[in-house]
Amino acid sequence: MREAEIVADVSGLPTTTFGHRSMMWWGTLGYLIIEGSTLVISAGCYFYLRKNFSTWPPEHVFRPGLTAAAIQAGLMLVSNVPMATVDRAARRLDLRTVRTGMVICSVLAVVMCIVRTFEFGALHVRWDTNAYGSAAWATLVTHSTLLLLETVESLVFTALLFSPSMEQRDLSGAVDNAVYWYFMTLAWLPLAAVVFLSPYLT
Amino acid sequence: MSATLPERAPAFPGDIVQQLEATWRPESGLLGWLRSVNHKSIGLRYIVTAFVFFLLGGIEAAAMRAQLARPEATLLGPDAYNQFFTMHGTTMMFLFAVPVMDAIGLYLVPLMIGARNVAFPKLNAYGYWVYLFGGVFLYVMFFLNTGPDTGWFSYVPLAGPEFSPGKRVDVWAQTITFTEISALVAAVEIIVTVFKNRAPGMTLHRMPLFVWAMLVQAFMVLFAMPWIATASQFLAMDRLVGTHFFNPAEGGDALLWQHLFWFFGHPEVYLILLPGLGFVSSIVATFTRRPVFGYAAMVLSLIATAFLGFGLWVHHMFATGLPALGESFFSASSMMIAIPSGIQIFCWIATIWAGRPRLAVPLLFVLGFVIVFVIGGLSGVMVASVPVDQVVHDTYFVVAHFHYVLIGGAVFPLFGAVYYWFPKVTGRMLDERLGRWHFWLFFVGVNLTFFPMHQLGLDGMPRRVYTYLAGMGWDNLNLLASVGAAVVAVSVAIFLANVAVSLRAGAAVGDDPWGADTLEWAASSPPRPYNFAFIPMVESRTPLWHTPGPLPAAAGLRTDVQEVLVTTLLDAEPDSRHRHPPPTIWPLVAAVATAVTFIALIFTPWGIVIGLPLLFAGFLGWAWPRGRDHEEQVRVERQPRPQESVP
Repeated sequence: MREAEIVADVSGLPTTTFGHRSMMWWGTLGYLIIEGSTLVISAGCYFYLRKNFSTWPPEHVFRPGLTAAAIQAGLMLVSNVPMATVDRAARRLDLRTVRTGMVICSVLAVVMCIVRTFEFGALHVRWDTNAYGSAAWATLVTHSTLLLLETVESLVFTALLFSPSMEQRDLSGAVDNAVYWYFMTLAWLPLAAVVFLSPYLT
Repeated sequence: MSATLPERAPAFPGDIVQQLEATWRPESGLLGWLRSVNHKSIGLRYIVTAFVFFLLGGIEAAAMRAQLARPEATLLGPDAYNQFFTMHGTTMMFLFAVPVMDAIGLYLVPLMIGARNVAFPKLNAYGYWVYLFGGVFLYVMFFLNTGPDTGWFSYVPLAGPEFSPGKRVDVWAQTITFTEISALVAAVEIIVTVFKNRAPGMTLHRMPLFVWAMLVQAFMVLFAMPWIATASQFLAMDRLVGTHFFNPAEGGDALLWQHLFWFFGHPEVYLILLPGLGFVSSIVATFTRRPVFGYAAMVLSLIATAFLGFGLWVHHMFATGLPALGESFFSASSMMIAIPSGIQIFCWIATIWAGRPRLAVPLLFVLGFVIVFVIGGLSGVMVASVPVDQVVHDTYFVVAHFHYVLIGGAVFPLFGAVYYWFPKVTGRMLDERLGRWHFWLFFVGVNLTFFPMHQLGLDGMPRRVYTYLAGMGWDNLNLLASVGAAVVAVSVAIFLANVAVSLRAGAAVGDDPWGADTLEWAASSPPRPYNFAFIPMVESRTPLWHTPGPLPAAAGLRTDVQEVLVTTLLDAEPDSRHRHPPPTIWPLVAAVATAVTFIALIFTPWGIVIGLPLLFAGFLGWAWPRGRDHEEQVRVERQPRPQESVP
């Protein structure tokens, strides 16, 4: 090993950082690019397949119901308020607010999963009926994997916050989780427009 | 940074090195091997695994050439031949070319940027296990006569449920899923490691060109792989649960598959090529004793190649009856990609021209790369032209073209890289004389195999035929190609013998046997588990040439627990200290859960019900901060720091 001359000391650097200073934040961003791409591709396929039909939805298929989708969109939008609170509280090391906020968000995530099951029913078409059904289901399933993942992650993370092995550096994870949450919830709004609203435009 | 020491302290107080050795000591035994999260350990097993798949893919190629050496041969029947060419393509593209490049990047990038490991060591281990399980699964199914048989791009409707009943295509689709995951994991690893773990002072414009190449390649993976992931899942669902994405009878579209596949498939070529270009830059600089000419032009060319690489996919579909305007656009963009490639070639030639080239084996392979890759590029410009493509589409001309590009652009630089970095990895040199035999036989063999295929294609021989009739005028050129394949096989055997002999009896070397310029050559050969006792401070693009004596370095990372330095993205300023995870079995457990889920999904949609709890358990064990090692780490951290950590 080449010899070294010590010219600097890094021992005073912090061990907890937030946002773009943290490696996990960048890892989360990479994951968002991957997942964001799959969502865009699913929606792109939906429109690509549309050109093969003279009507959309195809004949003998009802348009999707809007109630569950509207509730879901509202939930997702509103859920960003407690998550933003968690985000800010974590950065100022306010564990109490982080805990409260994560409990609220975890409950909201579970509710969103339940509403999602109704959204599948509201499509009014099976995945194997025709390519329209396949594309609509694919878009919904793709986003559901994100929702499921975020729900599990939020539940586990909330449990960690109340466990004895909780450390200060875990609060950085709350900020990274918030980034994922914003993405998952806000990405749903255009996707919901594609799957639930666009059939009404023809 | 907390403070800059007023005086330069002496290097390597013995107690610090001893403590680092104790703290970073790898675990012994099989369990220790399975639990390892060190990037060198993972990278090395990745490389070895990829080369095993390279040999398997090579054996399949040899079998095909033996079959085609003479007309109406009976070594392989049509069904076996279909499986062989599919396995060959799938193996070489998904199990060898991309993984081996990622593997070398995962091994070298941390060393080249002065880091102690990749950003997410556990994820790195997971990526390797998933890749291994995917490859083993494919070959187990192949030996059970369930190997995929619809070509490496598995076009529908042939690959759909109607024309390919059974599980062969499902095996292909799910193998792809395994390799996508490992490639995406490697991409995220490389991006975050390069962004956040560079040695202080290594600003973006001081990064080695190889690191730039890996960074750009990683971004390409990030944007390309989701396309094939979506495509392969749609195909699997069409086959398993009756969706209709590719079924025209119910509004699906066969061309959708081609768009999705080639939007990934064409960038795939550059995923393989870009790291190869990085190898070439490293080798050219070292063996001409001067920095590569035109650093900024080289970096911009890499980025331009990545952007343009996403705008060419339709040139694989010229024969599908696309609108003429689209064909013209993609024809132009296909020709345009020659520009950044050309810029890089000219920069290397200028470097060699102005330097003092030393024709060691790595540089021989670089020269071979230039010749073979340029031939492939020229035939590429030809097939980028729509009328030419219409004539030679699906003929051996195309087979010749892409083998020139891929072997020239990736395998020649790869062999050069193995000769170049072997002493760093093992502490021993590969034999130079055997290396020259390897190079010349490989160079002659490749040209003998693939150059005649241009003519075979122009003579009308279609690709993917298991035999041909005598009197077609194809006999002699096929025989010549098969002789060439035998020469390639001999050259690879010499390479393997060289590796085997040199591992035991190669000349022992010091840290920097080539007199190279980048940081990995400041580490021991082979590198210690912690790579560098102190984190180097970089003051130049060529740090080892810029500072011939002791390297300026930063102290202050803990030596009693595993700790790494995190720096800022643009200027690589020291920013924080980060706990390095201890060895753990959970990445392997999570990979087993992933494999069980994917394989079950081939046979039943309920595989997801079986798999989800397993995946949850695997990842919970991974993420939950429990375990003896973790508790011990936290306990030590809470003790006062030992005095010796800052000399």
